[in-house]
Amino acid sequence: MISLVTRPTLTGASRSGAALLIRGIKTIPQPPGYIVGTVNDAYVPPKPHKAEGSYHWTSERIAAFALAPLTLAPLVGGTSTILDSTLSTILLYHCYTGFQSCITDYIPKRVYGSYHNYANYLLIFGTGVAGYGLYKIETSEDGGVTGIIKKTWNA
Amino acid sequence: MFRSILRQTRALNGFTNGSRSLATAAASKPAPRLKTFKIYRWNPDTPEVEPKMQSYDIDLNECGPMVLDAILKIKNEQDATLTFRRSCREGICGSCAMNIGGRNTLACLCRIETDTSKETKIYPLPHMFVVRDLVPDLTHFYKQYKSIQPYLQRDTHPADGRENLQSIEDRAKLDGLYECILCACCSTSCPSYWWNQQEYLGPAVLMQAYRWLIDSRDQASGIRKEMLQNSMSLYRCHTIMNCARTCPKGLNPGRAIAEIKKQLAFD
Repeated sequence: MISLVTRPTLTGASRSGAALLIRGIKTIPQPPGYIVGTVNDAYVPPKPHKAEGSYHWTSERIAAFALAPLTLAPLVGGTSTILDSTLSTILLYHCYTGFQSCITDYIPKRVYGSYHNYANYLLIFGTGVAGYGLYKIETSEDGGVTGIIKKTWNA
Repeated sequence: MFRSILRQTRALNGFTNGSRSLATAAASKPAPRLKTFKIYRWNPDTPEVEPKMQSYDIDLNECGPMVLDAILKIKNEQDATLTFRRSCREGICGSCAMNIGGRNTLACLCRIETDTSKETKIYPLPHMFVVRDLVPDLTHFYKQYKSIQPYLQRDTHPADGRENLQSIEDRAKLDGLYECILCACCSTSCPSYWWNQQEYLGPAVLMQAYRWLIDSRDQASGIRKEMLQNSMSLYRCHTIMNCARTCPKGLNPGRAIAEIKKQLAFD
């Protein structure tokens, strides 16, 4: 609320369509100065949850590191179904965590409440569809994902 | 390296020029070097008035070399209502943190750009609630600092009832961490902190969390690590590294956060 008063640009006439769309969504009002409790209380962190903390981070890093050799391998020594499906699955997971991170950053539960959950459900749905698509490609398409990229390269 | 040499030679040039102008000053007064400062103004007593940028002209010949000298001169001679925090004027208290020429830094450690054709813009620390003019509200920042329990915690105490000893090597691990003066320049330069400052602790506080994690005398590492095991407090750091870039004390909070992540991964 305070920020609206101190930021003249927000009250200006030039509002983009995206801004109007966001205005349409009801957000949760934040406490003045973001202060929860009294000014002398310490900030209270969310409950510890290793799956959202270090395990999540470690799995992200492992996926990112595993992608490098898997991407280079088909260029050097051709590909197989196992190699290709491993590559595409890890790539899918990599994209999933990337978008998940964006949602946590830009659509936080603290401000958007259930919209945060809807965004995550949408992401899970999209990942599921993509996963099914990958399954189809690996079982029916000749050469898998690597083969498709090879074709577009030549086309 | 090259840049620092350049700065040194520039400073030397400035020095010789200065002494030359001093020599000629006896004959005639040097031409005034008027520099324009544009400073963010907002008064809580008149909340209906929008914040504005106010211009002040300062003669650099009659002003100290630092931006703090300039704004003190403005407050003393031109506009007593200009409000800002300052205390030590030598970069050890962290009070005068503000955004000068687009960069978060301490006004007392920031030289005035001597090119008088360009104006210098001064804003309060970005994305913080403004109390008045250049004074940001740091209450939440201090609440976050309090939450990491920045003090020594032990279960056992030395048998001789005297101080907790530490080897020279263990003490050396704290170098580059304990120098932090909590000016909040790094936290308020971090885009992730702009988006989620209610829950993300920010580089300054996380660097202090690391400082207590690796202190060989501290025995509360378990609680300290557990506190960071969630998606918001620590893991909103995306290694953007604005923190290390802006730190007026030359510290590297980004590295400290990476070290915490590494510790938690093997926890």
